Amino acid sequence: MSALRLISNRTSQQALSNSDYTWDYEYYEYAPVSFEGLKAHKYSIVIGFWVGLAVFVIFMFFVLTLLTKTGAPHQDNAELSEKRFHMNSFVADFGRPLESERVFSHQMAEESQSLFHFCINEVDHMNKEKESQKGPSLKSNTHFQEVPKSSAMFEEDLHCLTKFNIPNFVNTEQNSSLGEDDLLISEPPIIL
Amino acid sequence: KNISDFSVNITDCTQVVVPEEVFFTVAAAGILENLLILIAVVRNKNLHLPMYFFICSLAISDMLGSLYKTLENIFIILCKMGYLTRHGDFEKKLDDAMDSMFILSLLGSIFSLLAIAADRYITIFYALRYHNIMTLRRALVILAIIWAFCAGCSIAIALFSYEAATVIPFTILFPLMMFFILCLYVHMFLLARSHAKKIASLPSSTFHHRTNMKGAITLTIFLGVFLCCWAPFVLHILLARFCPHNPYCACYMSIFHVNGTLIMCNAIINPMIFAFRSPELRSTFKKMFYCPR
Repeated sequence: MSALRLISNRTSQQALSNSDYTWDYEYYEYAPVSFEGLKAHKYSIVIGFWVGLAVFVIFMFFVLTLLTKTGAPHQDNAELSEKRFHMNSFVADFGRPLESERVFSHQMAEESQSLFHFCINEVDHMNKEKESQKGPSLKSNTHFQEVPKSSAMFEEDLHCLTKFNIPNFVNTEQNSSLGEDDLLISEPPIIL
Repeated sequence: KNISDFSVNITDCTQVVVPEEVFFTVAAAGILENLLILIAVVRNKNLHLPMYFFICSLAISDMLGSLYKTLENIFIILCKMGYLTRHGDFEKKLDDAMDSMFILSLLGSIFSLLAIAADRYITIFYALRYHNIMTLRRALVILAIIWAFCAGCSIAIALFSYEAATVIPFTILFPLMMFFILCLYVHMFLLARSHAKKIASLPSSTFHHRTNMKGAITLTIFLGVFLCCWAPFVLHILLARFCPHNPYCACYMSIFHVNGTLIMCNAIINPMIFAFRSPELRSTFKKMFYCPR
């Protein structure tokens, strides 16, 4: 930026005496900069800066990886896992547009809202049940351990969660055309 | 090249010169790519959504950055060839205008990234009310405010660039915004993680979950690219203001053109990590290029 040359122009009077403002390919007059007696390598700021930046980015990456760890893997059923609600890979699919929302917007919003509230209620209900069984050791929602198998309610919960499609959020891992995936919600809810 | 004209001590750190062909190629690629995105969003009615408008805003600021560098190089070449005088008033005004264009581009990039992160945040945490919160009109109003603010700031900074008061806020804004964007994304991650755990805990779940590297990689790329492309230049401005005569600082400032090229590389990479991830945009491109045949 040649605006910055005004700074060095004011401070170094000796270099260019004939003009206050010139436009050169080099932006700075390196007037009295002497390189005598440098203790460290002359490019030390450059090297230090880039090393610091690299370390910071790598550190950020590790912190994010730790944050996204979701725990021990369960057994996976290949055919079902592809259709399931892969919430933890949503970030990779930020590009999903919301245009399907437009088409189904009002219908979907009401349906989704009721489904969503139902799902949240069910999950909370489930949590409370477990907490009451396990006692105070399961205070946090993120520390489920053994979940007692009970009724088909859990199966329904899973269905209900898969039907709730938050666009931009769900990645069903089939990067197929957008239309089919976002029309997932068009199936009528079984539970309600 | 002109250093030999100065009679005083010549630095050992000579300017690292980027060949003009590389410069122009990178700049042209950046401008073209971002222009394509703008055209695609304008032509396809399905893409008239707040999310794409924010991506367009990012594309415009990238284009401005590359345009600035291209114009500057052209003017310098014209100067060398003698078509423009070096001391003229007109050239000074032109130079100020171009500096403000550059600052506008930087501020526009930062605020566009912030808008994109906020839009995604609202999508996730207020999913059901998203369409009421982020209407098209509001998105346009937000963009208008952002660009008006950036334009005002850039003109002010270009006019008063010799004051320390402008350099310091400029350099503080940069890490502050980065930190805020990082916080937004981390909060989104935490929600995804807690939801995934809830699902995984269902006994009938055949949910296959693993440490998801993809999300961490994506976010690291978002922020890492922005940091690596803009931070060198911001540091340059700081050093130029506060220690222009220190030999270490002078050596850092000698790689100024590499820093400028990095900014243009950012203009090329940004569309790849934001715009081209959308399947709708990709299909629009295909239609644009393959349909006429």
